[in-house]
Amino acid sequence: MVPAILLILVVVVSAGMGAVKLSFGEVLRALLHPSEAGDAGVILFSLRLPRVLAAGLVGAGLSATGVLFQGLFRNPLADPFVLGASGGAALGGAVAVFLVPALSFAGVGAIELLAFAGSLIAMGIVWNLAKAGGHFAMENMLLAGFAIGTMLNAATAALELRQEATNPGMRILAAWLHGEVTVPSWTQISFVAIVEMAALLFALPLARQLNTLALSEEYAAQLGVRVERLQILVVITGSILTALAVSLGGLIGFVGLLVPHFLRLIFGPDHFRLLPAAALSGAVFLIVADTIARTAFAPSEIPVGMLTAFLGGPAFLYLLNHRQRSSSL
Amino acid sequence: MSNILEFRNVGFAHGARAILENLSFCVKEGETVALIGPNGVGKTTLLRLAAGLLRPACGEIVVRGRELSQWGRKQLSCNVALVPQHLEVPFAFRVDEIVAQGRVPHLGFFGRLSGEDRDAIESAMAAVDIVKMRDRVFAELSGGERQRVKIAIGLAQQPKLMLLDEPTQHLDLGRQIELMSLLRRLVDRGITIVAAVHDLALVRENCSSGILLIPNAPAVAGSVSELLRVELLERAFCVDRPGLDRYLAADGSMGGPDRLRGSESEGNDGQENRERLRPLGEQLASTKRGRYPRHTRHGRHQDKD
Repeated sequence: MVPAILLILVVVVSAGMGAVKLSFGEVLRALLHPSEAGDAGVILFSLRLPRVLAAGLVGAGLSATGVLFQGLFRNPLADPFVLGASGGAALGGAVAVFLVPALSFAGVGAIELLAFAGSLIAMGIVWNLAKAGGHFAMENMLLAGFAIGTMLNAATAALELRQEATNPGMRILAAWLHGEVTVPSWTQISFVAIVEMAALLFALPLARQLNTLALSEEYAAQLGVRVERLQILVVITGSILTALAVSLGGLIGFVGLLVPHFLRLIFGPDHFRLLPAAALSGAVFLIVADTIARTAFAPSEIPVGMLTAFLGGPAFLYLLNHRQRSSSL
Repeated sequence: MSNILEFRNVGFAHGARAILENLSFCVKEGETVALIGPNGVGKTTLLRLAAGLLRPACGEIVVRGRELSQWGRKQLSCNVALVPQHLEVPFAFRVDEIVAQGRVPHLGFFGRLSGEDRDAIESAMAAVDIVKMRDRVFAELSGGERQRVKIAIGLAQQPKLMLLDEPTQHLDLGRQIELMSLLRRLVDRGITIVAAVHDLALVRENCSSGILLIPNAPAVAGSVSELLRVELLERAFCVDRPGLDRYLAADGSMGGPDRLRGSESEGNDGQENRERLRPLGEQLASTKRGRYPRHTRHGRHQDKD
């Protein structure tokens, strides 16, 4: 409940911040009476709100995937990109910027489209490699994720090196690779929001089963959990959430790792409680981070991924240290 | 008493390596059966087969009169609980949250605990005396405490048959005695126990019968006194006679090597145990196809470690 109220407050406050400052009241009035909002309405509905909601959706998707993948791999250090999604998204983004920049579909740009496709394809390849031989082995999946991610990153680097240094696409790609939330169309936001909500609802019963999986695959199996089916469903749900997130915000690190960690300290390790809490808190966290990223150095912006990495690094080290001391997080 | 678990000519292999071959035995309701044998002989495999976690390459496994493949997974979990050797939990789950997982086979799609489920969890924790530590984090418990929590998970399943894989491993003497006394209480509650145990003194004191898995030779099932003979132990554990004699002489609770050498020195306990077990073998021998010889059979293992 608290994260939900916090999320609404953060959306309203964040939407008021920027080059043209809007008060809390102005934003609320514009939201309640859009037709009478005038210039404030144009700023809000065409620029601020799409960006704020996009940041929220990215944060929610990455944090929820963090909870799902950490439960799946029984490892609190797993993040949404552990299955090679970042490599696929990076290559997709590079292809979009350098080879087919004019591509678009239903108002969605080339980077978003190819990043979404690239991350899904990369995770699909990893999944197929992991279940080669008919058996679905989680260790193989992690290793394949690492290998495929590395290969695709190398391919991205090769594509970049072939470009002239003056190519404006270089700056666009660099910013995107560091995690930059776009200002998407309302169609894109609606699509992502609907699919993300559906994926989160679908994941809720899976989250409860992840509590049983925490004991071990063998234990879960003997307690009646269909372990392989659970693993496959979690991989598919997490992959879709990650692909949606990278399509809106590029490669934003640490969110999927840190938010679940902090929430475990507050709510405990129950995945069923963590999943909705992580989605809401991840949204709050990334909206705040993105607001800082676009206003702190105005008129220029820094990619929000750089900010989360900059703040996330020390926080991660703190958690690692805390974990070593308690050896039970 | 009816049979709760039967293995009929069961074989199992990891790839080309045969672990168990042509193994037959049966366990009656209310028994405490020790599973004895050297490391790597297939004790854990046997328990996992009985819990339905592995499928036998050949033969049949029958639980409460029904072949394993005829059981639904959750239905089987409500009847058979496996308490594995190790339990490592990577997150800071509390003891009561861990024990609650034992109710999973009883829950519906949404997985909400009913009043009955909560009662079963409380009762399981009370049975192993861990109510006081319910709010502690599982990962911070000692080996003995963890063992009790594992058994509580099994009890929360409300099973008829509990399979324990080396439950006394890493426990000090006091905790071992406590644990065996706990297992006796479980038998009093109507739960049949099959436990892989290395300590032969604990086997002798606490088990009504046993199954001895011998590398590269047929397994032997029978009363504890029948199994704990020097000749059998020598073959099963690949140990020389003087070494075994010294071990048995040092272990006063075993009655020394002389006591284990001949059937005439078994005493009344051994005789009683043998009488209790005999019908198992006779029943097997008289099954329709008549292919189950009295008492056993044939566990084979390639690994001589």
